[in-house]
Amino acid sequence: MSQTVAAGPGASAGTPASRRRSPLAVGLAAAGLALVIVGFVASVGAFPESWNFGLADPIDRTRRWLINNQTSHWLYTVLLNPLTDLADAGIRRLEAILRWFPWYVYPVFCGLGLWRVRGRVAGALGFCGVVLIGMTDLWQQGFATLALMGVAVFLALLAGIPLGIAAWRNDRFASVLRPTLDAMQTMPGFVYLIPFVLLFGIGRVPALIATVIFALPPVVRLTDVGLRNVPGPMVEASEMFGATDRQTLRLVRIPAARPAILAGANQTTMLAMSMVVIAAFIGSGGLGQDVLRAMRDIDVGEASEAGIAIVIMAIILDRFTRGIATLGERGRGPQTNAPAGGSLRATDTVAIRPVAAATALVALVGGIVGHNKFPEWLQWHYAPYINDITAWARDNLYDIGNSGIGTGPLSDFITVYMVTPLRELLSSGIPWPAMIGLGVLGGLLARGVTLGLGVGVALFLIGWLGMWELSMDTLAQTLVAVAATLAVAVPLGIQASHSDRFQKLADPVLDFLQTIPSFVLLVPVITLFHVGRIPGIIASVIYALPAAVHYTDLGLRRVPAEVHEAATSFGATRGQRLRRVELPLAAPELMVAVNQVIMLVLAMVVIAGLVGGGGLGLETVNALRRSDAVGRGFEAGIAIVLLAGILDRLTRGVADRLRPPPAA
Amino acid sequence: MDQISPESAPDEAARDAAVSGADATVRVADLWKIFGRKVEAARDMAVAGAERDEIRSETGCLVAVRDVSFGVNAGETFVVMGLSGSGKSTLVRCISRLIEPTFGDMEVCGTVLADASDAALRELRRNKIAMVFQHFGLFPHRRVVDNVAYGLEVQGVGREERHERAHEVLVTVGLDGWEHHYPQQLSGGMQQRVGLARALAVEPEVLFFDEPFSALDPLIRRDMQDELVALQLELQRTIVFITHDFAEALRLADRIAIMRDGAFTQVGTPLEILTQPADDYVRAFTQDAPIAKVLPACSLMRPLGDGAVDESWPRTAETATLESALPFLLSEHRPVVVCNADGDPLGLLHQDDVAAVLEQNLR
Repeated sequence: MSQTVAAGPGASAGTPASRRRSPLAVGLAAAGLALVIVGFVASVGAFPESWNFGLADPIDRTRRWLINNQTSHWLYTVLLNPLTDLADAGIRRLEAILRWFPWYVYPVFCGLGLWRVRGRVAGALGFCGVVLIGMTDLWQQGFATLALMGVAVFLALLAGIPLGIAAWRNDRFASVLRPTLDAMQTMPGFVYLIPFVLLFGIGRVPALIATVIFALPPVVRLTDVGLRNVPGPMVEASEMFGATDRQTLRLVRIPAARPAILAGANQTTMLAMSMVVIAAFIGSGGLGQDVLRAMRDIDVGEASEAGIAIVIMAIILDRFTRGIATLGERGRGPQTNAPAGGSLRATDTVAIRPVAAATALVALVGGIVGHNKFPEWLQWHYAPYINDITAWARDNLYDIGNSGIGTGPLSDFITVYMVTPLRELLSSGIPWPAMIGLGVLGGLLARGVTLGLGVGVALFLIGWLGMWELSMDTLAQTLVAVAATLAVAVPLGIQASHSDRFQKLADPVLDFLQTIPSFVLLVPVITLFHVGRIPGIIASVIYALPAAVHYTDLGLRRVPAEVHEAATSFGATRGQRLRRVELPLAAPELMVAVNQVIMLVLAMVVIAGLVGGGGLGLETVNALRRSDAVGRGFEAGIAIVLLAGILDRLTRGVADRLRPPPAA
Repeated sequence: MDQISPESAPDEAARDAAVSGADATVRVADLWKIFGRKVEAARDMAVAGAERDEIRSETGCLVAVRDVSFGVNAGETFVVMGLSGSGKSTLVRCISRLIEPTFGDMEVCGTVLADASDAALRELRRNKIAMVFQHFGLFPHRRVVDNVAYGLEVQGVGREERHERAHEVLVTVGLDGWEHHYPQQLSGGMQQRVGLARALAVEPEVLFFDEPFSALDPLIRRDMQDELVALQLELQRTIVFITHDFAEALRLADRIAIMRDGAFTQVGTPLEILTQPADDYVRAFTQDAPIAKVLPACSLMRPLGDGAVDESWPRTAETATLESALPFLLSEHRPVVVCNADGDPLGLLHQDDVAAVLEQNLR
């Protein structure tokens, strides 16, 4: 401690601790190199299957025991079953309330609400969207999804905001909580389902619990961050007036942190939405179940109807929760030196009150009269048209005029020249000790001894679980998809950063793509690419694209205008400026983009197990489908978590390395 | 206002009594703030005369405030002037115990702060003291009126009453009609008026100003200074004012303390600082000071004595600067009569006195 202080201001530049070569690091590097050499000399190939630790059997035994004792053991009769019943009753109750209101309240409410928070066009689209859900006869499923989600979001906020406050209050708690949240956020949603299926079996309650836990991190994190970022002078001012800690928290800190907390609530809602849909795998019911069933039957039309209903719900929820977050800010927007005359808020509230009152009245009357079923005469299905299009696409786009151009040859090309060779290289071409050795060296270079050791141990564990080849399969798919995403996204991001017009055009499209729950994205992709590994990869690219473009754009835009001008004033061409100045300066941000892309791609590649993606995803899907495969699925789940952890830490380590030294 | 003429040398004993006396509203004795862990060692080095950097490399401690003692009398404006890093912001935060001082004692309005309980401290802050902040420290989620009423709300004053009081204060600072705006919709100068109103709303005995005008542009800053002078003439609060702007210190202060590396190098009236700088560091500031523009006419006036005032003599207001009297002093060999706001003569300004001060400043 005192050593670093005594080093004086000059020494704070750079990171002396990490640059110093400790004997430990040298030893580890030597060990890593030795592993690589030994691996290649002995050419042992993939991790030996005989070393399998055999976690699957005990898990399956536990599972059987749990099923047999579900009605008798005290753990269930005293604790878990009452909780399950309570949660189930809560969901049922909310669903009943939602169903009680007359159907026409929903499109009107959404239309008016979106009109208010986003403008006229959004309002009209919202109205039509809700009507469309009803027209395709998905009204009841929609309520089931909404009720499950509502309860999940409520519970997540109920737990998350106090956790965030606790993390802000107590640094020790925060230092434990933050890495936990980090780890939670690197885990693909799909993996969350497995332990709850193990414990609770199939049903809405395990889906609810998995959703709550999956959706928790953003609101906790942003509550903590929001409270920490309350400007010091504001807090000092409050204290100077003799406010107690509680008064300062209630009157100053929480209101000041409100935008952050609401942003967290928005993210939590969106995560809950995507999870509720994925949780159809374990019987959450609702719209997700419809998509899942249709996808199993490869009925793209049905899947599209349910999928589009989900997207509509997701977008409306997103815009609403974001609207609430910004509504309070509207009157007090950014710093303006020239205040406009008159109050900005008074006019806002005038028009809305009578409308809201009228809507409430209509809702009550309609509910009592019993207009709660979406009328049948309004029903109209577009699934047949989608199926026609799908059939046409399959027949005509697969190999356009036998020319060797089309989705089929493209799939084959990616499979034959990219995925398969890479998979073979990773799983057996590079001997497993060499792979671990390379991982250790990578960790050492990216961050240091701890990460090097961590990567080595994690890779070894993957092998020990008997998941080596499957993991390498998933890794190969992930790497191909990441490369493809970056190849598309970085040029788009560069373009967006250079052209405000392009950014304005691209923003809504990317925003829209980002709102689509991962699982639903598979629907249009299987239309074009059928099943196999390729649709998963393509869906991953689409899924990860928005984040990649966004971070690239952000990183490049953060390059100060002055630096830009300085480069230009020396006569740099646009390309020179990009290569020599902008990209190096944006490198840490680009690395963050890579990190995000890897995480998103991995999550998607795993879900793609559903459409024949193979690898770890398939094992997980099987575990959720057949109760005798839970053990294998559990192992695959752990392997996914380890793989995600390795990739996340390595890329973040590199991102930190790329950051310029902080100012002294 | 303190009025000390150049001839009557300040009575040292009286000054000391004022500094440490029981009648001082704010009293600070042997105050130290040392950041770091080996605070005792750092203090011993400092007492032995070590420089700040030396102490830092030896002990790892930063001596931010170094054995500061002073007193501020009721109704007096005491300005602490120092450059950035001199410890002046730390000092004002120690006095109000926003941060804990390492050694020493503070007494504000009869409350000894060093060992005051949280409740006693809160009581003092609620009723006796208030602070205006450099970057305003306004609450962006509250309307102007709710910002101003904050102190009263914390005290538990009812909504009606606190809004009424907030309105009164807003009228005082010239922000009538802006109640329902949010602070960030206002210009910087107006925002700081809100900050000032918020402090005044609780009717404090002592006001702390932490570089309140440094974030404003020069013209607005000047307006705000003038208004503060006018307001202080009326309200007569005890003020501790922190600034890095020497001209601002001269304009506002009854007494100035020049702070450097955590310690006071000189404490005195603006006139004393200008005419008798304690060392080269202080002199460096005085050389750029536009003396005639900052010193008020009353600072150099001689008492009226028994002599009658000639009606034909030119007159100037007590708050006017010396500069305003210069044309008369240069053109006519007659004294200028310094009058108060009601036009009553207070004293006479003589050419020789002014010339002496201006000449000294040139050296």
